[in-house]
Amino acid sequence: MASRLLWASRAASYLRISVFHRGFSSVLKDLKYADSHEWVKVEGNSAIVGITDHAQDHLGDVVYVELPEVGAPVEQGSGFGAVESVKATSDINSPVSGKILEVNEELSSSPGLVNSSPYEKGWIIKVEVSDSGELKNLMEADQYSKFCEEEDAKH
Amino acid sequence: MVDRFCIIEPKRRVFLECVVLQEMRVSRSLEVWKMGTINYLDALRLQEQLVSNRKAHKIPDTLLSLQHPPTYTLGKRRTDHNLLIPESDLKKMGAELHYTQRGGDITFHGPHQAILYPIISLRDIGLGARNYVEKLELTMIELASLYGVKACAGQAGETGVWVGERKIGAIGVRISFGITSHGLAFNIDPDLNYFKHIVPCGIANKEVTSLRKETDLVLPAEEVVHEQLISCFARQFGYSNLLWKENGLIS
Repeated sequence: MASRLLWASRAASYLRISVFHRGFSSVLKDLKYADSHEWVKVEGNSAIVGITDHAQDHLGDVVYVELPEVGAPVEQGSGFGAVESVKATSDINSPVSGKILEVNEELSSSPGLVNSSPYEKGWIIKVEVSDSGELKNLMEADQYSKFCEEEDAKH
Repeated sequence: MVDRFCIIEPKRRVFLECVVLQEMRVSRSLEVWKMGTINYLDALRLQEQLVSNRKAHKIPDTLLSLQHPPTYTLGKRRTDHNLLIPESDLKKMGAELHYTQRGGDITFHGPHQAILYPIISLRDIGLGARNYVEKLELTMIELASLYGVKACAGQAGETGVWVGERKIGAIGVRISFGITSHGLAFNIDPDLNYFKHIVPCGIANKEVTSLRKETDLVLPAEEVVHEQLISCFARQFGYSNLLWKENGLIS
């Protein structure tokens, strides 16, 4: 049962022994994460946003990315675009509030970058952050890893 | 669930109560709305309201079971180059055309095609888009197998359900805050001529087919096939408790 796997992996990490994870998604330490599986890298007043490795894995091959307009406002937790994969469009939500400075135009011709390089070449938007206090609503890498495990254990 | 049983010690008549904890099995509920034939835009407005209600935890996972009058729809990518006749000609034949936010290409919906629109929380069951769509495919594959039809999922990039090179079921989904809308369409016995005016799902040189064409068995009343499709869905997604609602209206 998936819940037993979760219990086993928690017990194992308490006892500090390694456990084989069936589906391991990478999580980067210096990023922050939203529970809708977007990441944000803060650089001074601006931030780069994309979707996580866990997200791209669960989506399947991305065939289309709907990008917002430069200059458009974004709000933490609200949608700003979408990706399409396997005949499903999934909304992308912004982990920060502010104004869009730049969008990754390369995704229009190469949407697969979201799958192959979710944290680097597959970045989606750059935002001028209006309220850095909101970052505390996001998860750190360890929390996000656990969050993903718990979500995957649900079925 | 907690099991209790008593042991009576014969000499001293001491009751020992033993409590055995069994593994908790959460019973998952699905509210099923049987809508009959409903106009596309009415169904879309209903779905938007249900998604909003589901997101606010006001309703449980909900499944709409319905048919549409002749309707062509496009997905978010607006691939209208796959519509082979002018929109005015569609109107003349009594069909509507709608642009939507779902994934997928152009398709046709009409009488004798069974549609399911699940409004469910993928986050609550830990499913991503890919697994969700796979289960929708399996739902239709299972239904086809009830009639001895061997269907299978499409190859990469050809999401849907196929019998050989012929498409029997289509999928187009929208996921917003982890809540699904739109869904699947399974061809029981629609007028396949309607598909001649489009490149179905953007895949050229592949035919569209129906259960009627593929099975040797006599089909029961369509209502029966709709209910079987609902059962297949419930089984694939692990819903043990179905709450039925006929001709549900927004309140």
